[in-house]
Amino acid sequence: MKTIEDLKNIIETKMRERSADKKPCITVCSGTGCHAYGCEKVVKAFSDEINKKSLNDKVNIRATGCHGFCERGPIVVIHPAGIFYQKVKIEDIPEIVSESIVNNRVIDRLLYIDPNTGEKIVHEKDVPFYKKQQRIIFENNGFIDPENINDYLAVGGYKAFIKVLSSSSPEEIISTVKQSGLRGRGGAGFPTAYKWEFCKKSKGDVKYLICNADEGDPGAYMDRSLLEGNPHAVLEGMLIGALAIGAKEGYIYVRNEYPLAVKNISLAIDQAKQFGLLGEDILGSGFNFDINIVKGAGAFVCGEETALIASVEGRFGEPRQRPPYPVQKGLWGKPTNINNVETWANIPLIIKNGADWFSRIGTETSKGTKIFSLVGKINNTGLVEVPMGIKLREIIEDIGGGIPKGKKFKAVQTGGPSGGCMPAKLLDLPVDYEKLTEVGSMMGSGGMVVMDEDTCMVDVAKYFLNFLKDESCGKCFTCREGIVRMLEIVTDITDGKGTMADIQLLEELARTVKDSTMCGLGQSAPNPVLSTLRYFRDEYEAHIKYKRCPAVVCKKIISSPCQHTCPINQEGCVYIALIARGEFAKAAEIILKDNPLPSICARVCHHPCESKCRAGESGDPISIRALKRFAMDYATAHGIRPKKGFQKTREEKVAIIGSGPSGLTCGFYLAQKGYEVTIYESAPVAGGMLALGIPEHRLPRKMLNADIEAIKSAGVTIKTNQALGKDFSLDELFKKGYQAVFIATGAYKSWKLGIPGEEGEGVLESMKFLIAVNLGKEAKIGKRVGIIGGGNAAVDSSRVSIRLPGCEKVSIIYRRTKTEMPAFKERGGKKEVEDALEEGIDIKLLTAPVKVIRENGKLVGIECIRMEMGEPDESGRRRPVPVPGSEFKIELDTLILAIGEQPDTSFLSEDCGVDISKSGTILVNPETLLTNKEGVFAGGDVVTGANTVVEAMAAGKVASESIDRYLKGESMARTYEVTKPSILVEALELTEEELASLERPDMPSLSIEERHKSFKEVELGLDEKMAMQEARRCLRCELEPEEID
Amino acid sequence: MLKLKLNGVDVQAEEGWTLLETARFYGLPIPTLCHYEGLSPYGACRLCLVEIGTGPNAKLVSSCTYPAEEGLEVRTHTRRVSAARKMVVELLLATCPDSKTIQDLAASMEVQKTRFKVRHDDCILCGLCVRMCSEQMSGKAIGFVNRGETRKITTPFDIRSEECRLCGGCMYICPACQLRCQGPDAPGVVCGSCLNVSPVCLEEYEDALCYLDPCCQCLKEEVKKK
Repeated sequence: MKTIEDLKNIIETKMRERSADKKPCITVCSGTGCHAYGCEKVVKAFSDEINKKSLNDKVNIRATGCHGFCERGPIVVIHPAGIFYQKVKIEDIPEIVSESIVNNRVIDRLLYIDPNTGEKIVHEKDVPFYKKQQRIIFENNGFIDPENINDYLAVGGYKAFIKVLSSSSPEEIISTVKQSGLRGRGGAGFPTAYKWEFCKKSKGDVKYLICNADEGDPGAYMDRSLLEGNPHAVLEGMLIGALAIGAKEGYIYVRNEYPLAVKNISLAIDQAKQFGLLGEDILGSGFNFDINIVKGAGAFVCGEETALIASVEGRFGEPRQRPPYPVQKGLWGKPTNINNVETWANIPLIIKNGADWFSRIGTETSKGTKIFSLVGKINNTGLVEVPMGIKLREIIEDIGGGIPKGKKFKAVQTGGPSGGCMPAKLLDLPVDYEKLTEVGSMMGSGGMVVMDEDTCMVDVAKYFLNFLKDESCGKCFTCREGIVRMLEIVTDITDGKGTMADIQLLEELARTVKDSTMCGLGQSAPNPVLSTLRYFRDEYEAHIKYKRCPAVVCKKIISSPCQHTCPINQEGCVYIALIARGEFAKAAEIILKDNPLPSICARVCHHPCESKCRAGESGDPISIRALKRFAMDYATAHGIRPKKGFQKTREEKVAIIGSGPSGLTCGFYLAQKGYEVTIYESAPVAGGMLALGIPEHRLPRKMLNADIEAIKSAGVTIKTNQALGKDFSLDELFKKGYQAVFIATGAYKSWKLGIPGEEGEGVLESMKFLIAVNLGKEAKIGKRVGIIGGGNAAVDSSRVSIRLPGCEKVSIIYRRTKTEMPAFKERGGKKEVEDALEEGIDIKLLTAPVKVIRENGKLVGIECIRMEMGEPDESGRRRPVPVPGSEFKIELDTLILAIGEQPDTSFLSEDCGVDISKSGTILVNPETLLTNKEGVFAGGDVVTGANTVVEAMAAGKVASESIDRYLKGESMARTYEVTKPSILVEALELTEEELASLERPDMPSLSIEERHKSFKEVELGLDEKMAMQEARRCLRCELEPEEID
Repeated sequence: MLKLKLNGVDVQAEEGWTLLETARFYGLPIPTLCHYEGLSPYGACRLCLVEIGTGPNAKLVSSCTYPAEEGLEVRTHTRRVSAARKMVVELLLATCPDSKTIQDLAASMEVQKTRFKVRHDDCILCGLCVRMCSEQMSGKAIGFVNRGETRKITTPFDIRSEECRLCGGCMYICPACQLRCQGPDAPGVVCGSCLNVSPVCLEEYEDALCYLDPCCQCLKEEVKKK
């Protein structure tokens, strides 16, 4: 039997020994995450290596608890220096021992590289993941071997217990905890000391303590890590609590799915008993306390205290009515105090360091730190301990390192399945109990799931409801049936079968479930629904009204992402499948079915289909545009064209103003519906921006004209050199017998820079410049050309300039970085920008123009200033800010402005009756494209401002349908359908080897020499073999069987 | 005796009474389904909800399980209570559309139709049969198994129980199995032949003004006079 003095001496000795031990110590993280990475083998390899080199008395090795940075496991930290090695493999171990231990050198390749700065970081404390954390509970996790009580004693363990055992009354302990402001870490945040006080004051000699380690939230594992990594801290907390409350028996209720936690805590209890810290007459003080372990069978509801008690008693894990509260009537009917693992682990720290030390951390109402398990779409997955009051943004961006693959943040969910989802606008919210509840979420036990733009919030609500429908105990009718019914409604919505009345019913039901259920599970179960409805209602509405899933997730609505994201509903998945089978003609027919400008799209479409391609999630997306080009080249070569000449079946005539992609598409579909269509074009050639803005090296005139000819032969008349406002007016068109007019005049007016000297000779607008070149007129540019902007117009202008005779050097000046350039991208920024670089265009990034320099009126150069990326603005995009004093000069003969275009609607007279916005766009009903003037529709860039070809085509298609309904006198309301392929093509069998060997082909291109001063088409297209191979790589999402729950 | 406030009136309750007992003692009608005198309170159907507390701390609790407490403020017929009970009845109706008991409950709350998809699950897991069997018949032949959506009432291992004496107590007490009403309307629609208009005063006031049963007796009297 040891006495208090004995243990004090042991602790002092252990602490002295440890501080006297100057040997380096290799610590290997042995938390759950690192276990999965195989840290056991790493530990063994270290001891083998140390034995082999006979270094046993020169170095210590310790398998410790979780270090938190699970993303980078297995983690090895070498103390005392704190050298941090990540992703350590068995092969690295001899080198670590010989280099870092024997020769005291750092091994570069095992260091963590800061992804923002590219710098290698040597010490654990300097890693950004740890920098903003305040690890008080987790501090010792990385220093002690959880299987050895001596390690805990060596860091001052059980000192707090000895302190209270020898000198504090129960009231003093409770008062200290009260002063600290500690609140329950299980989620509800009830002040710990008050609970203790109630329990202490409850009548009865027999009282119980329970440690709630029933951690059931998906993705949360902080309690597990504490029990695994520092079990004695929890035991010490419980001992102090028992002393304060007067309990003689305690229980740890831990999930059976946590074998390592069960093992380590059992071991810790045994060791504590050996040291006389548990059992009868502890350290000769007369105080008795024993702890039992109860293993739970993994019911989420058993985290609720009354259900937990029922489970400990061996009954059905079902909550009961409170009051009476467990502190009045708990386990076996006796007063029972239940606290969460993390709460217990805080107690020794509060006793040891004082209440003031603790209450200095945190906010007014929430004191101390909180451990979160940061998971989901985040770069640094792991356990983080942060002071209360830290902003969500700091946790996600600074500690978590932001969202992988440069995707956009969408929401963060705290509080587990019954917590809420918070949008980007709440990122600056300080994390504490009240603030989280205010915004419709909760602290919960500390799960934090980050979601990016590819997460559908309706699907998230569905996921959590699915979890909860199985995890509700099922007693309360509103919880059991309410969750099932909420799931039923949400599933209808994600299947595209929802109605707007469903949203109202869902909200009403969610509120009732929240209001009318007995326990915390039911009361918080509707939170995922309510918070997504609160912050992401537009996503629900998109599913219901437009049959769109904005994140392209919900299977029954999207079918395949490529088809769902295509504004004109091209069946990418189908024609890819046909190409893979060698049925090229059929593939071309599928393309022609929905696309009147197929050869054009095959060359210049910005292919949104590829951005959400599932193959791109773990590799490169399918080269869908290149495959379309292949099919269309095949069609051209084999004379496959759409049916010529539609039958005229209707009396009405329609006029279209503008022959760009929007006008052409609208004309084609109206002709198909049997109308007589005339397109009026102000330029001498048809095609609008396709002919005037896009240079020949990207879109050969032969291909452009072939598509336009096809539309003409479908029955559309195109009249060139006919400008609205100059040659005729809107009213005249109606007088001529046209019954509907579609205005699609595009956006041609360049924005101005607004810097001194920009007016005058030598400065060109990119659009005027491109039009001049495309129409074969003389475009006067000098030897040295500068282009301001980063979009397609800028890159096009640069590549046209370098091709013109006399031009020697072209520089693009862009104020942000290359990744932000809006010019078309394929595979991480290749394509337009890369092509330009290959052709010798110089791109000056993070550079903004300040003023144009002129000598005697003649342009001689431009003064620029260096920029750096500053703080993110409201949209979350980092804004460039100038670096003071970094001005410099670029010598130029010509300056081209390509910072964007806007529509010029001055051709519409004020009395024509069509409403125009302040920025010059035509105002329309976004669903029908009808303007405020009877019979006048508008679409494309003139409505949206400068946009893409395929979006303009989509507007044309919509307009044709609206005009059809208008002329037939039908209701103008648009109907929407879920995306579905017209045919299902049988899947091909691929071997594993073939799958592994296939990769996205690079588009064959003209050599640099051939491109020099030539407008020949740069892209050559895939050959048959390449195309078939690439098509075989498609994952065939549209065939994916429905998910089975 | 405990002193508490019931719908704004100072009342007394005996130690150990539930709120339901207290309210009924003072003649306040509170609908119940899983409650049965002589069986232990269970709190599963959530129809007997009442509002307790004030301001932001006000909450709904099941009156059949919540004990009367000194100083507690209880309101039995607020708008919030009424809305929650109606939703509960709508859910019940969708799960077990043919039960006369549930149809009558719905009619008494002026719920004419359920907006949820009608499913003939029939058993609403109110647990009356389980309690009847164990508490009154000393049978313990049936009980609950599973949790959440898959929860059900059955005999151990789903086989005929040696304990069951075929007394029929479970059938007698079941609000769903017995008393089927397959009236003229589609499932999920209440015929309303036993129509009871809900408190009209709630449209104007936070609390009901009287507790006559059936409600709207006041209106009916007026109509008669006219």
